[in-house]
Amino acid sequence: MSNPNAVAVLQRAAELRATLTGQFRDETVKSIYAEAERIAGRASHHSGTARYDFDQRIDRIVTSPIFGLPIMALLLAIVFWLTVAGANVPSAMLASGFFWFEDQAAAVFTNFGAPWWVTGFIWHGVFRGLAWVISVMLPPMMIFFPLFTVLEDLGYLPRVAFNLDFLFSRAGAHGKQALTMAMGFGCNAAGIISTRVIDSPRERLVAILTNNFVPCNGRFPTLILLATIFVGPLVPSAVASIAAAGTVVGVVLIGVVVTLAVSWVLSRTVLKGQASAFTLELPPYRRPGILRILYTSIIDRTLFVLWRAVLTAAPAGAVIWLLANIFVGDVSLARHISNALNPLGHAIGLDGVILLAYIIAIPANEIVVPTLLMVYLGTGMMTDDVSLEEIKRLLVTEHGWTLLTAVNLMLFSLLHNPCATTIITMYKETLSLKWTVVGTLMPLGLAFLVTFIVASIW
Amino acid sequence: MGPLLTTVAIGATIFGLFLALSWASRRRASQSRHRLEDALKHLFDLEYRGRHGSLASLTGALRVRDRAALDLVKRMQTQGLLVARGAEFDLTPEGERLALQVIRAHRLLERYFADEARLPLPQVHAAAERGEHHLSPDAADRLSASLGHPSVDPHGDPIPTREGFVPPAAGTPATAWPIDRLARIVHLEDEPPISYAQLVAAGIEVGQMIRIIDSSPERMVLTDGENEFRLAPAVAANIFLENAPQAPALAGALRLAELSTGQAAEILGLDDRCQGYSRRRLMDLGFTEGATIRAALTTFAGDPRAYEIRGTLVALRSEQASQVLVQPLEKAS
Amino acid sequence: MSAHDCGSCSINAELARMGVSLDKVDRVVALAGNPNTGKSTLFNALTGLKQHTGNWPGKTVTRAEGAFAFDNVRYKLVDLPGTYSLLSASHDEEIARDFLLFGHPDATIVVVDATAIERNLNLVLQVLEITSRVVIAVNLMDEAKRKNIEVDVRSLSRDLGVPAVGITARTGDGIHGLLEAVAGVSSGSVHTEPLRIKGTPEFQRAISELVPLIESLAPGVPNARWIAIRLLDGDAEVEQALSSGRLVDLVASQQETAQRFSAKISLQGTQ
Repeated sequence: MSNPNAVAVLQRAAELRATLTGQFRDETVKSIYAEAERIAGRASHHSGTARYDFDQRIDRIVTSPIFGLPIMALLLAIVFWLTVAGANVPSAMLASGFFWFEDQAAAVFTNFGAPWWVTGFIWHGVFRGLAWVISVMLPPMMIFFPLFTVLEDLGYLPRVAFNLDFLFSRAGAHGKQALTMAMGFGCNAAGIISTRVIDSPRERLVAILTNNFVPCNGRFPTLILLATIFVGPLVPSAVASIAAAGTVVGVVLIGVVVTLAVSWVLSRTVLKGQASAFTLELPPYRRPGILRILYTSIIDRTLFVLWRAVLTAAPAGAVIWLLANIFVGDVSLARHISNALNPLGHAIGLDGVILLAYIIAIPANEIVVPTLLMVYLGTGMMTDDVSLEEIKRLLVTEHGWTLLTAVNLMLFSLLHNPCATTIITMYKETLSLKWTVVGTLMPLGLAFLVTFIVASIW
Repeated sequence: MGPLLTTVAIGATIFGLFLALSWASRRRASQSRHRLEDALKHLFDLEYRGRHGSLASLTGALRVRDRAALDLVKRMQTQGLLVARGAEFDLTPEGERLALQVIRAHRLLERYFADEARLPLPQVHAAAERGEHHLSPDAADRLSASLGHPSVDPHGDPIPTREGFVPPAAGTPATAWPIDRLARIVHLEDEPPISYAQLVAAGIEVGQMIRIIDSSPERMVLTDGENEFRLAPAVAANIFLENAPQAPALAGALRLAELSTGQAAEILGLDDRCQGYSRRRLMDLGFTEGATIRAALTTFAGDPRAYEIRGTLVALRSEQASQVLVQPLEKAS
Repeated sequence: MSAHDCGSCSINAELARMGVSLDKVDRVVALAGNPNTGKSTLFNALTGLKQHTGNWPGKTVTRAEGAFAFDNVRYKLVDLPGTYSLLSASHDEEIARDFLLFGHPDATIVVVDATAIERNLNLVLQVLEITSRVVIAVNLMDEAKRKNIEVDVRSLSRDLGVPAVGITARTGDGIHGLLEAVAGVSSGSVHTEPLRIKGTPEFQRAISELVPLIESLAPGVPNARWIAIRLLDGDAEVEQALSSGRLVDLVASQQETAQRFSAKISLQGTQ
């Protein structure tokens, strides 16, 4: 295969390389920069002293030793509060609208003499799955994504990575892991792809394995719903949405702590090694373009995530309807499975239905809450008014949920195994079955462990 | 149904046995190849330091019984890799060629593990020890190229070239170095691992400038100008020294990490200890000799900090920043 | 302000954004630049695509392709990953470098941040070593103005020996001028004389010895000088491309094996 002449040339190149003084690359880069200085000196002049003043003044505040971290927490809280407070009403309206439509459509089918199982499968199965997913997910995403994109386009994310690097460096991880975690808020699969910005293979693997501990957009609705239903009422109604947002921030912070702890353990056990070179450019702030932000957040992100959810929600709705309507003996299949899962579920402060919902939701975490509600409702109908109170009544009085259930479900939702897309992405990025399995089962084990401990000491 | 099932079961058992046997024999074969390569490496190391191998040195280095070592020597003789002169062994040119291949693989892997995978230095040797038998000469060439053809491994040992050239042993052991003469550490012997671990734990590294301030049969005291290292002579003998190059006058030079926030400085260069990816990335970002830099931002923990260089803002951890040597500028800005 | 002030003329009169319709393109244009210089914004402005843009370095990690037409010529635009250099051999740099070297672009736009010309020139000078068909797009002219930085694109163009155009990709300012320069360079009607780094005397001697050897080995190779530099630096990909005789088309599979190889080693190291 190798050409003898080519080998001779390579040989000669190697000999010549030995004649060069110093490190070749050093010398090359040095002479390039010397030239660059000369050219740039002629081509660019700055007049006045106000060169970086504005940017630097902002930077000195947002990365300040005193204000840096509080500002970050506050921004996070504001984003979640706007999402929680803004999403409630449209979610309820969407749900009511969809279910009104479902009733009408089912009635039309029945009037035309369609068999009950056709009507049930299409409208109470597939359509209802879709309706739940859209009404639970769309409003929070429509608020969260634009806000997040504004922060991203401004150039704030690298500052977050800069502020938090001291934690990551102590955990033996790369500071840019914070960037990949921020991407994980949108979608863990995207977060895992973005770990390519980390050059060290070891630190990249740490970032890939822990990205799951950032709750993605598919999981936010679960957190938001639970925080709103269970935490909100504990405080005066004036501050209910603030308390709910605070709870979500708390869960996210727990996720950050778990990420750091797991990174720390990995860096000291199976992924031993020193921190690699950390260089992070802090780009100048840029004014975000409104149209571009709307486009990015709505078309690229919201619709992308929603479409994926819809694709899995339709078949999941069908599966749930079948499980709820196929009877073995006197009891539906869904009831059989959830009864079997009950002991395990109760041990960790949840129940069999919740675990069943998580199994059905492996393709996409977005459909956990819809699945849960559909299984609980069984063949039954919700009253016309689909409000949070109604959902709460269903969960608390009919199915015995407590604050513990809510807390543990939030924890489980934060920690459990990544969705199918994320698992596939993990494999594509590591090309290793072993690490994919670790990345899947380690969070699941952790979720069971943590919820078990919480349930035991509650 | 019965006879068919039995046939299938027997067939499966035989097949399984066959698989297990062939796996075991393959494993034995590869193990014995690894042992042979380790023996070659050991003999070459001794020759390189002007000594000769013997049966005793082989059993010690490979941790095998006399019997196994003898078998190994016979095998190497029949393969034309080794000639015995009395109790002493010498490698044939072919044996040397193979030994150099393994050593090249080993040292390149050490370089890779230290610079790119960033394993802690004491683990680098063991990791390379595992990998060296699996790296073909072609793969070693590719690895060498991707590392920028390094000439020495992280302990300062020369990496043989593809053609099998290896420069003569460098350095004088610290035990033979005169007191008070400035020296540069060119090599740290990584065998035995215990004394190497001591050197690393003390913070002694290749490239460091040191002086010996005191030497007695019990203790040797070395200094890098800041810290004092007290070592047993047996351990200090694993440090190999050379005359320090005439360093340019660096009066008032600081490490970038020491620059106070808001202060500006001129970059004098990167520390020799900064190698591999870390060095390349810093150079790419414009951390080259003569560039002006200013410590601009400090975080909550004081580390990392952000520096203004060539019109951009770049954050570095203090680990990187202390590998950049700077000369503070008078209050110019 | 930009050299080609085009506030009054209509861009759309000649620029047609063609999105992803990549068949039947006449010329190929590569888009290179440091991370965070607005490369993706320019890409979107030219192709009408909506590749995601975000303000953090390293956002674009793979290659994106789009198309546009200008003056009835169809161009394929390849957005390369943003890199600070082509020398460090990280994965994104390899993608960018291999395309410039083996993808035979008819022109390469190097996007430069007007507020940090010096640092950006590092990449520009390296690209000029590889290919002479280069147009410099000095982007973010509005930001430079905000920071009181005056950029003299004519001086830049004169020093670098290739056209340089000031633009603001976000508003579309200067894009017409940029496209005219791209049309000129890619058609060959604009002659370029790219600046090449001189280096030490030993370096020059080594290069002048290697260039004829490489040229006789691979006749017609457009960038023997660059290949010589890379050989002196010991670039694995280039050595392989040369010895396998496939200098002209470095096949994707080759890249993949190299990548697998390093992935495998790194995993071995972490176990």
